[in-house]
Amino acid sequence: MWLYLLRRVVLAVAIIVAAVMLLFFMIHAVPGDPAAVLLGPRATPEMKAQLHQQMGLDRPLLIQIAGFFAGLLHGDLGFDVFTQRPVADIVFEQLPYTIELILVSIAWAVIVAVPLGCYSAVRRNSVIDKLIGIMAVGTIAIPSFVMAIYALLIFSVGLGWLPAIGVGNGFSDRLVHLVLPALVVGIGWVGYVSRLVRASMLEILGENHIRMARSFGLSEKRIVARYALPLAILPTVTILGVGMAHLLSAAVFVEVVFARPGIGALTVKAVDSRNYPIVMGTVLVTTFLFVISTTLADLINAALDPRIREKL
Amino acid sequence: MNRIRSNLDRRTFLKAGATLGGAIIAAGMPLSQAIWAAEGKVLKARSYSDIDKLDPGFYQNAYNVDVMNCIYSKLTRYKPGSEWGWELEAAETVEQVDPTHIRFRLKKGLAFTGNHGELTAKDVKFSFERVIKHNSPVKGDWGPLDHVELEDDYTGVIVLKTPFVPLWNITLPYGCGHIVSEKAVMQATKDGGDFGMKPPAFSGPYVLADWKPNQYVQLARNPEWSGPKPGFDEIRILPIGDVKTAERAYQSGDIDFTDFSLDSLATFKKSPPENTKVEEKPSLYYVYIGMNTEHPNLKDINVRKAIQWAINVPQILDAAYSGQAEVATGMVAPGLVGHREKALVPPEGDIEKAKEFLAKAGVSDLTLTIDCLNENTFSTIAEVVQAQLAQIGITLQVNVQDSGSFWTIGMESEGSRWKDMQLIVQRFSMVPDPYYATCFFVRDQVGVWNWERFRSERFDELNAKAVTIDDPAERTKLYTEMQDLLEESGAYRFLTHEGSPVMYRTTKVDAAVRPDGRPLYLNFKPVSA
Repeated sequence: MWLYLLRRVVLAVAIIVAAVMLLFFMIHAVPGDPAAVLLGPRATPEMKAQLHQQMGLDRPLLIQIAGFFAGLLHGDLGFDVFTQRPVADIVFEQLPYTIELILVSIAWAVIVAVPLGCYSAVRRNSVIDKLIGIMAVGTIAIPSFVMAIYALLIFSVGLGWLPAIGVGNGFSDRLVHLVLPALVVGIGWVGYVSRLVRASMLEILGENHIRMARSFGLSEKRIVARYALPLAILPTVTILGVGMAHLLSAAVFVEVVFARPGIGALTVKAVDSRNYPIVMGTVLVTTFLFVISTTLADLINAALDPRIREKL
Repeated sequence: MNRIRSNLDRRTFLKAGATLGGAIIAAGMPLSQAIWAAEGKVLKARSYSDIDKLDPGFYQNAYNVDVMNCIYSKLTRYKPGSEWGWELEAAETVEQVDPTHIRFRLKKGLAFTGNHGELTAKDVKFSFERVIKHNSPVKGDWGPLDHVELEDDYTGVIVLKTPFVPLWNITLPYGCGHIVSEKAVMQATKDGGDFGMKPPAFSGPYVLADWKPNQYVQLARNPEWSGPKPGFDEIRILPIGDVKTAERAYQSGDIDFTDFSLDSLATFKKSPPENTKVEEKPSLYYVYIGMNTEHPNLKDINVRKAIQWAINVPQILDAAYSGQAEVATGMVAPGLVGHREKALVPPEGDIEKAKEFLAKAGVSDLTLTIDCLNENTFSTIAEVVQAQLAQIGITLQVNVQDSGSFWTIGMESEGSRWKDMQLIVQRFSMVPDPYYATCFFVRDQVGVWNWERFRSERFDELNAKAVTIDDPAERTKLYTEMQDLLEESGAYRFLTHEGSPVMYRTTKVDAAVRPDGRPLYLNFKPVSA
């Protein structure tokens, strides 16, 4: 187990380094100059040169990337010259909003989707199973930004039930502001997870140990909840771990449409303005989140399935 | 809100939620509005971007200046209304002594927060001179500023090296005109340089009470302010980047003042949201099709003229702005000194004449490129131009680019892409003086911001002369000639100044905006329901 964890940590560090380096060379390969955007049209070439120097852009690329990793070892993500603030401050004040959006979206999607998937499997080919199937495909097919626009028009503009923008202040206010964005980000996952759980359940329910349980006279509810579901949920856990990247990209659209702060909106703005230190900081943090979530998914799988645990 | 949080348990939450929900539904108030309801008179307004610079000496972008207007004082400020003009703010008097000397006398009793003392002429001197001393990117606003002479604690003289008329229109009442505390800035920065997002002291009617990046800017009354009190106790500015989201936020009651897109103007004019006043304001932006005069395909002026005449501007505006934008006659918007009454090429162009120019150039089967920003409006403009040029046998390839890439296309310092640039859909912002537009088209700017690589000795002469002339009619003559020169070069086809419609809830606010629609929050007045 400890060796497994060590291997994962080494792998995680390698993934982060590779992702950051790849992005670093990509953003420098495309045309664009932060000085042109940040200083505006009246900046002279001397002013731009000064900004390049302050941002370290006058140095060779390899020195720049080495400097970034050296700073990272000291917990320094760099400095945003324009706002005169450390990148870490900027990134970490936005990160909680994205994390809360993703966690709430996943949570409600799983809470709704798993019972739907189980019910569909147990009542296979029933009318409700078919309805759930149609709903699932429908929610997967509609892009989250389209869903976001209609959710705004219906629940905020039309009915006036929920706020259209922002994140709110205080617990209850924040919760209310989360309803629509989380609905939009999570709804596709309801369809996806329910289909996944249904398929896994159907496979598990046909296995020998389930037939054995039935022959012992155990109730169907107990068989599903105690013996089938823990195994049927494994692919879902794996998918949710990998799905973190997908959720982050959905969060980008949702943060823009709902004018929410967050790492997605921050990244988009930083890429547009070629604010390299912010782009590097956000990519580092999101890559780290992705690695953590996939590792967690693997560990949860191991905890749920003794066969996997033995192989670690 | 904190008290609610600290006392909150599940039972309380459910109970409170049920009670609150019931009460709101009974009162017929949308939940979204109920949540934002706050104590006192609170203005909630949209900004198209979050603040990122609060040092007026190094200001960038209008959304920062909107906030600076509230938290610092300046000698003069823009007057709200439909005509450009200024009025006194921190100054009791400001007078032009001679073309290079401007004397000001400050009002007494204006103080900086945090025990940084009274606002004096010494602070004015410090605020203005630091822009030059620290080589600020916006030092051009101060033009030929030499220094500020102090006569006493409240009186000073701004001394210019050469006359600079735009100072009255774009410097004193705008970004660089704000006054900061010398004592506070020196304490905070050591050398008096850029203090970024951390104002060390305030001198306006409001203070920056809270700033949650990408959430809101909260301005509260300055308790030490001794001048006339503005109407609202609190101003909450919400950064909403997407204009359509801003429209939805207004409709749902989350904000009470916003600008909105031109393509929604017809809809909102026809059926505005309840208790809403819609105002159409002409913007100062200028949008045009530029042509690289040094590109081999466009070197011949006849080819450029063919393109000018083939472009039908009203058709473009119908497609890109839903017909809600007016045709531009040049780069200077109506209402400003230097506005040109008529363009040389009629807005509709003339296909036959365009073909004649092309024949004169002896060109056939021409393929060109057009670069534009990755925004719907600009890509639509490029596509319509593509269709129009096809009528005279020119094939146009549209290159859509993100802002980081787009804004360096024509810069020589950014590589050799300027050599490949041919046509471009260009849009520049403006402040209310024609100098701000024309200064980018002089020969010194070739390869910097003059991407069309337009060169004219006469243009440069007029540009230098026009900033020294007081008489508006005389200035207009010069700027008209300059715009004629630009158009005669064949490198420009002016399209529009767009427009900046705004709307506000008449039950909450009586809004006050500049002639171009930018909010002047200090002049906003609350309306009792």
